[in-house]
Amino acid sequence: MPYDSILNWIVFKDPMVNPFYNVYNLPYDIGFKLWEILGGAIAWLINLIFPGNGASKFLVSQEVTGILALVLMVVVIFAVAFVINLTMIWEERKVLGRMMDRRATRVGPLGYLQNLADGLKTFLKENITPSKADKKGYMWALSIVIGTSVLIACMIPLSDRWFIADYGAGLLIIFGLFAIAPFMILVAGWAQNNKYALLGGMRAAAQMISYEVPMLIVFASVTLMAKSFNINDIVAAQVGMWFIVPQILGFIVFMVAAVAEAERIPFDLPEAEAELVEGWQTEYSGMKWGLIMLGDYFRGYVACALGVIMFLGGWMIPFTSWNAIPEIVFLLKVFLIFFVFAWIRAAHARVRTDQILWLGWKVLLPLSVINLLIVLALKIGGMV
Amino acid sequence: MTIKYLDKFPRSNARTLWVLKPMWVTLKNMFKTTLHRPVTIMYPYEKEWVPDNYRGRPGLIFEKCLGCGICKRMCPTTCISMIEVDGDDGKKVDRPQVNLGRCMMCGYCAEYCPVNAMIVTPDYELAAYTREELIYGPRKLAWPKHTEMMQVHLKEHLLSDLKNGVTDKPTAFYSIDRPELNDAKCIGCSRCVKVCPTGVIEMYTKGENAAGKPIKRPKFDLAKCVCCQNCVDECPKDALVIKEVL
Repeated sequence: MPYDSILNWIVFKDPMVNPFYNVYNLPYDIGFKLWEILGGAIAWLINLIFPGNGASKFLVSQEVTGILALVLMVVVIFAVAFVINLTMIWEERKVLGRMMDRRATRVGPLGYLQNLADGLKTFLKENITPSKADKKGYMWALSIVIGTSVLIACMIPLSDRWFIADYGAGLLIIFGLFAIAPFMILVAGWAQNNKYALLGGMRAAAQMISYEVPMLIVFASVTLMAKSFNINDIVAAQVGMWFIVPQILGFIVFMVAAVAEAERIPFDLPEAEAELVEGWQTEYSGMKWGLIMLGDYFRGYVACALGVIMFLGGWMIPFTSWNAIPEIVFLLKVFLIFFVFAWIRAAHARVRTDQILWLGWKVLLPLSVINLLIVLALKIGGMV
Repeated sequence: MTIKYLDKFPRSNARTLWVLKPMWVTLKNMFKTTLHRPVTIMYPYEKEWVPDNYRGRPGLIFEKCLGCGICKRMCPTTCISMIEVDGDDGKKVDRPQVNLGRCMMCGYCAEYCPVNAMIVTPDYELAAYTREELIYGPRKLAWPKHTEMMQVHLKEHLLSDLKNGVTDKPTAFYSIDRPELNDAKCIGCSRCVKVCPTGVIEMYTKGENAAGKPIKRPKFDLAKCVCCQNCVDECPKDALVIKEVL
């Protein structure tokens, strides 16, 4: 069925018969049922006060239900990504605390609500913009960094039934949006009119660009092996054997590059708080800074999720086809990878600038090329 | 195993694997603190265990105190002063009063107290709203749950003992040092008798002078003397000195 207008997405009352959702989409279903409850209750109330009006019929009509189910689906997907993000921050703080022999977060049950408390605190802070800053660059760079981070976090599918859209470009678009942030960080560092911010921005750009290259080569070898950019196809290609087995080299390269891309310790040169005050985030205060931190962790989540999708078999349990809640399996794998990130953060000190670039260009790049050659050899030999 | 190998051969070609060492340390620490508990103590809700002889604020056992003033003499920050208060039997007695705003919790007062009436207490939460609240009178200094361990004993070795090869006989200084009378300077005024807190000084008649008046001289009951030096300070003619035993 050819796609000709946006209405194609909403005229089907039952998501199961919509040819654009040829597989079952759980968030859409949740959104649809939520609107059936919410909209039905609102329509019933309006009809109770003004009997026989058109508004209540309009609210529960097929078209309005379709549109609002899409809106609610987006809200559900974002809320779930947000809660995953909060859980990951909580996990990191707890793990770091235990590794440093101290108690970590304390607010709420097991300290889970600490992040919400911190968010509330940053929300209540004064919103300062430097008077000499370039206002447009200042705000736009921030918006694009946070926006792309949240966008790619929402585009990560949790399973073959939990996704925003099942499209062919898949990983390619996620990687493309992932690579926008370094440029915008440079713009943000320039726009703040602050030497620390500018230095942080330049470091961020140098580091991220040098680590994009091995990451993309690993990504190319994975897609070569799976013969597709589509995330579902990549996961389905790992049924017999996870890609970590033939591509262990690529997995290591990807993980190191992902730590650097997410600007996490030991590669947190852009915000080296001992040298540059807060790096490229120096002049961002209050909720802007809070959103930057949130965006950072969204990027960390995306890095972990990409590692799980590309190497650890996505939402599949090994040695069995039984899989009741694939979303939970996927998230457990993501949290496991993120535990390793937090572990590295607790164990290692910050790396020098020249060492970072040396590692990126002279170690990870040759390793990723060797990985690509291994995949090519396996391909030519007909092993995969 | 890798770590042990690298410890043995730090210059080997596998030295890049040093990155594993901090990771192993942190992982061990994480398991340890998860199975047991982190060292952090949630302070206002739970408190760290302190031993009985912890050097907190000084405390006073009112009924044991002699009022000799050694604590006042020894205090490095001079935060102790002797004040007159009503004793348990209604008489006026001298007792120490401590200005905790100046106290540095060294415990010297408890260490030098001859009867161990001054003790150290495990009380370290001393915040107050005014400076006046920090001046602890003799009654406020009391610490009802005092134990034997809160006394601080002073042990000193004598040089003479060490020379003779005796090292296991520590001796408190107030059992050795004694006031000594310079007979030629004494005028027999009996002031030392009045200031002695332990009442070990007695005046006895030595003889008669040319005018037929009795010559009075102090006599010290050395077994009970605590060597507080009050008599030495009070003597108008400097006839009394403390003889130090070495």
